[in-house]
Amino acid sequence: MYNNAFNPASQTYVVVVGGVCHSIMSGGPAVRVSIESACEKQVQEVSLDGVETYVPPLSMSQNLARLTQRIDFSQGSDSEEEGGVGEQRDQEWGKQEPEEDEATVKFQPSLWPWDSVRNNLRSALTEMCVLYDVLNIVKQKKYMTLDPVSQDPMAGKSPQVFQLISKKKALANAAQLLLKGAEKLSKSVAENQENRRQRDFNSELLRLRSQWKLRKVGDKILGDLSYRSAGSLFPHHGTFEVIKNTDIDLDKKIPEDYCPLNVQIPSDLEGSAYIKVSIQKQAPDIGDLGTLSLFRRQPKLKAGTQPWHLKLEAAQNVLLCKEIFAQLSREAVQIKSQIPHIVVKNQIISQPFPGLQLSISLCHSTGDKKNQKASPEKPKPDDHLYVLEHNLHQLMREFHKHTLSSTVMPHPATAPFGHKRLRLAGPMAYDKAEIASLQQSEGLLEKIIKQAKHIFLRSRTARTIDSLASRIEDPQIQAHWSNINDVYESSVKVLITSQGYEQICKSIQLQLNIGVEQIRVVHRDGRVITLSHQEQELQDFLLSQMSQHQVHAVQQLAKVMGWHVLSFSNHVGLGPVESIGNASAITVASPNGEYAISVRNGPESGCKVLVQFPRNQCKELPKSDVIQDNKWNHLRGPYKEVHWSRMEGRNFVYKMELLMAALTPCP
Amino acid sequence: MEAPPVTVMPVTGGTINMMEYLLQGSVLDQALDSLLHRLRGLCDNMEPESFADHEMVYLLKGQQGNPFLLRARRSLAHPPAPWHLRYLGQPEVGDKSRHALVRNCVDVATSHSLPEFLNEMGFRMDHEFVAKGHIFRKGSLKVVVSKLFRVLVQGNTENTEPLSLSYLVELSVLAPAGQDTVSEDMRAFAEQLKPLVHLEKIDPKRHM
Repeated sequence: MYNNAFNPASQTYVVVVGGVCHSIMSGGPAVRVSIESACEKQVQEVSLDGVETYVPPLSMSQNLARLTQRIDFSQGSDSEEEGGVGEQRDQEWGKQEPEEDEATVKFQPSLWPWDSVRNNLRSALTEMCVLYDVLNIVKQKKYMTLDPVSQDPMAGKSPQVFQLISKKKALANAAQLLLKGAEKLSKSVAENQENRRQRDFNSELLRLRSQWKLRKVGDKILGDLSYRSAGSLFPHHGTFEVIKNTDIDLDKKIPEDYCPLNVQIPSDLEGSAYIKVSIQKQAPDIGDLGTLSLFRRQPKLKAGTQPWHLKLEAAQNVLLCKEIFAQLSREAVQIKSQIPHIVVKNQIISQPFPGLQLSISLCHSTGDKKNQKASPEKPKPDDHLYVLEHNLHQLMREFHKHTLSSTVMPHPATAPFGHKRLRLAGPMAYDKAEIASLQQSEGLLEKIIKQAKHIFLRSRTARTIDSLASRIEDPQIQAHWSNINDVYESSVKVLITSQGYEQICKSIQLQLNIGVEQIRVVHRDGRVITLSHQEQELQDFLLSQMSQHQVHAVQQLAKVMGWHVLSFSNHVGLGPVESIGNASAITVASPNGEYAISVRNGPESGCKVLVQFPRNQCKELPKSDVIQDNKWNHLRGPYKEVHWSRMEGRNFVYKMELLMAALTPCP
Repeated sequence: MEAPPVTVMPVTGGTINMMEYLLQGSVLDQALDSLLHRLRGLCDNMEPESFADHEMVYLLKGQQGNPFLLRARRSLAHPPAPWHLRYLGQPEVGDKSRHALVRNCVDVATSHSLPEFLNEMGFRMDHEFVAKGHIFRKGSLKVVVSKLFRVLVQGNTENTEPLSLSYLVELSVLAPAGQDTVSEDMRAFAEQLKPLVHLEKIDPKRHM
């Protein structure tokens, strides 16, 4: 491509040399050279997506404008000037292309713009013809021959085989490296898995140490599972030994529950134990005592707990149960009580109430198969008072905490250990009573017996109230037990009401405070009555209250109905003597005074209702000479009993209301 | 009126025959922390108890040579606590193999009028000091780590200066007479404190 400066349009042209090139000497046949326009536009810019933006070709007017800019119009238009112009033009052009060949500078500028193209083509043509001629001569082999250049014999011997060998070696090296690396990786992965499955002894030991006290003695690892560090004074050593579990066969599959660590607990703490507290009716004979060994189902294993943990926990529980039982039996023997406690083998029997027997026994199952066969019968599930067992554990732990409390530390420091209040006994000159009150008088056994008594009393009270409520329908008995209780005290509010008349007749409301041995009853009217633990007392009391309620109900009803209360007595001295409580009676008169109703209600004798009619309604009245005026006939006269059982109405108060309504004439 | 007859029989039993088994040692101030940590771990699991006491030593000079010594101690940290009066007898000269110092010990808790009472009885205060430190226990074993301060002005416990740059460590047990197993336990416990502090029986006579 030649960018011909002589072409004012400065377009590029492609010169195509077509046809076969004949050898030409000077003046040979002309070679046709055809020229075609490339129609290529100059690229202005290439955008980012490859699209080329062409410089738009100059239009005719733009072209003319460009040319005219080059004309120097100040030169003038005569021939001299033309020549001058021509020379100047020549000079201009000479300046403008300093890169032209020297041959073309002397060239006549007014000639043909394709001149340099033609010259270059001509020289190319000459070269080609020469080459063609040489090749023809060489082909004839007469005047010129081709002589091959000698080559290195080794260079081309078997280049492919050599390359193959070298490539093979290189690949083999690379493969070996990769294989080595893969082997190492697989080995480490296998080791990790092995470790995880085996659960290294040391990591297990660490886990054990995070929950239990361990120490190293010589080459043995010993641990302490007693409560000594928590304040217990039980002389058991409570030492367990940690041993490595080496009876594992690595070739076989490792079982799921394999643990590399094993603990050896003292032989007397093996198995599981619990303290059974139960209240029974007194056994007729103390024959077969001390042979209790009831079993309880093992608690379900929590997922993730180690077997050693369960073993140690069970052993610790056994130790605590042993301590509790030792303390209880020591107290049972030492403490003097009215009815002595019996301690036989693993059972302590005491009598909280006459006819009742509280037995506390230590049930320790060692897990031996032999023992299990010895007691074939199933344990009675509701016999065991879980609350008391829990309380025993709690009391023991409180005792432990007390030995560690800072009230024991002496101030000043040289003083001996002991409760700080006791040290004041000397300086403050306490007497024996005060000192006795300072010291902890109650032992574990006494506390548990008190709690058992309270539980028993409470359940018996509930049973009494419930049986009365289910047996007797007419005054209804309601019991509202309070949610918050003490170990030694509970309370219940008992209401006696009549169905349908709860708002009117609510005079009997009792608050029962159930203590350890007694029940204290506070009546709504302020009376305080203390009942003993006898079941019959409470029942009789409630029955008497129920009968009183009926009469109170009549009183309230009379107020509502407009009847007048003539007399009222809670404890009537007339009539048959009641065996339970006293009978109560009330007399009410109708609003116009014509009728009167007399009610006598006793807990045993039931209720008796009499109606007093006016004299003029009774036919059997003998005529008397004393009464002469007729007006006396309007007074009330004889009584007539009402067949109360045949009366309509679902309860006493309803019946009474109907009766009153019937005796109140419509105005 | 005749004075009621005072019994001439010696009082036996009760707290009269208690023996104090004692082992003593000392640590420098810098080693106090590690010792306290060790004791916290070895002793019963309680909150560490610190104390500040003021002790006054009273002498009764009789016609004989040996004066009678009584120690009256009160707590500065707990002023309402009763005073503590202590008599320590001569160390028992038993077999040398006994590991702890054994001496008769009588402890009495008294009201706050003790100094006046002792003065009235004829005792004269010999010296006084203030002791501050920590107290630990392990069962019936008592470990007292205390720093002794000299009282500069008599009666003024605010103005004190430390007696030395170390802490006194005492391991003591109060037991009735005749129980020698106590000293074995004490020795075992002292072994566990071995590199930090050496507890040994120090005969006060030899150092006087």
